[in-house]
Amino acid sequence: MKLKRVTAIALSAGLMLGVAGCASTATPSADPIVIGSQAYYSNEIIAEAYAQVLEDAGFSVERQFSLGQRDVYMPAIEAGEIDLFPEYTGNLLQYFVPEATETTAADVYAALSAALPAGLSALAMSPATDQDSYNVTEEFATANKLTSIADLATLKDLKLGGAPELAERPYGPKGLLEKYGVTVTFEATGDTTVDSLVAGQVSLANVYSADPRISQLKLVTLSDPLGLFLASNVVPIASDSVTADARALIDAVSAAMTPADLVALNVRSVEEKLSASVIARDWLVSKGLLK
Amino acid sequence: MLDVGALGAWFSDAANWTGRYGLVNLLGEHLWLTFVSIALASLIAVPLGLFIGHTGRGEVFVIGLGSLSRAIPTMGLLFALVLLLGVEFRELSVVLALAVIALPPLIAGAYSGVASIPPSIRDSATAQGMTAWQLVRHVELPLASPSIIGGFRIAFIQVVSTVVLAPLVGLGGLGFGIIQGLALRNFAQVTASSLVIIALTITGELLLGYWQRRAADRLGIPTNLEKP
Repeated sequence: MKLKRVTAIALSAGLMLGVAGCASTATPSADPIVIGSQAYYSNEIIAEAYAQVLEDAGFSVERQFSLGQRDVYMPAIEAGEIDLFPEYTGNLLQYFVPEATETTAADVYAALSAALPAGLSALAMSPATDQDSYNVTEEFATANKLTSIADLATLKDLKLGGAPELAERPYGPKGLLEKYGVTVTFEATGDTTVDSLVAGQVSLANVYSADPRISQLKLVTLSDPLGLFLASNVVPIASDSVTADARALIDAVSAAMTPADLVALNVRSVEEKLSASVIARDWLVSKGLLK
Repeated sequence: MLDVGALGAWFSDAANWTGRYGLVNLLGEHLWLTFVSIALASLIAVPLGLFIGHTGRGEVFVIGLGSLSRAIPTMGLLFALVLLLGVEFRELSVVLALAVIALPPLIAGAYSGVASIPPSIRDSATAQGMTAWQLVRHVELPLASPSIIGGFRIAFIQVVSTVVLAPLVGLGGLGFGIIQGLALRNFAQVTASSLVIIALTITGELLLGYWQRRAADRLGIPTNLEKP
């Protein structure tokens, strides 16, 4: 009886392997390029732009958008279930190498390329960035003559708002003190960071640089002359199954996207509430990448 | 996988216990939010439950409330309240959202405690010449007390496990360790925070259960709680 069951399991396992084998070998040329995106509207617009240029060139693509955060989708990319994914150099480097010390765009890109697991590669990075930045309100900046993070050093009772993990990040309170001599108390304001800044509950807030609210609410982004933050440029991560032709198309998209473009795309998403596909299409047409 | 060594190291690191976001502070904040929310809810829920039980009016409301309590998306309510009241009032928003989920079990507990009193007891109290107020104060409330405590027990379990959402709107509580730990991929911290929340929930449930049984024993009425 026991032997029978084992045989049955072995047989059915063999059968499934056989079927799976057939499925993957039957039509290799028609395999679509699986494009993923984070559950972040801005990231989805970029992924949609990749998808549309590839489709326009005759590639078949499959969209797997809104896949949550890095912890969720990265294992799927590493397992080869997703072929192409818009990422951010600094944040992705930090995922693979939490103690990374590189901060300039070129250094971060080089370190990331070295850190990526086998089978994955970083295509050319885009000039567009979406990275951590410290922001203050316009009134606070004017009152204290602030343009750079270094200008904060003379101020007292600064409250820094951000996501809970900022407390432990190298560019968090510890980094501010070590690099700029700025002392802050940390408030984990989570999803209410920008609102807390505007309401005056915190004086300094960590906001992504491509966030439309920076311009909408006239926030002042403090410059970072000493390189506290990791540069985080938009970078497509591709699996080895993405062909050279496809890579060339994606490279053109990356090269065309400027930091201002990315902010403008995000503004359209937030203010006009358009779908990612419409926003991506309009932008590609405006850049001559799509007719 | 559970890494017991890393977990032990996390608990034995003094830095994880002290400071604004240390375990001691977070536990205190967690208990405070739980206590204030339940207290606020009980101010409305207990009198309302007693009233419905006493008059027999609005019993359909109580039944509907039981199913409603499972239909409220607490997280959505929380964000909606923060947006509505503004971030300056985030404590109030969290307390209100938690009070909403504490209401149904508290009302149901008070109501069923009064409703399950045999009519003969009420009749004899009335026959003694008790006024409606005296009936409530000296007969119904004491006899309903085990069931009322039972309502607090269920409200506690639901609220104490939902306070975990508070860090999403910038407050503390033990959920902080989970939300921060996930982002930092510090799984020892996530596990440790979860264990503290579980321990807190079980302790509170046992204490309130014990109190409920004591109250029932004193009255000589059975409860749905097994004696240990």
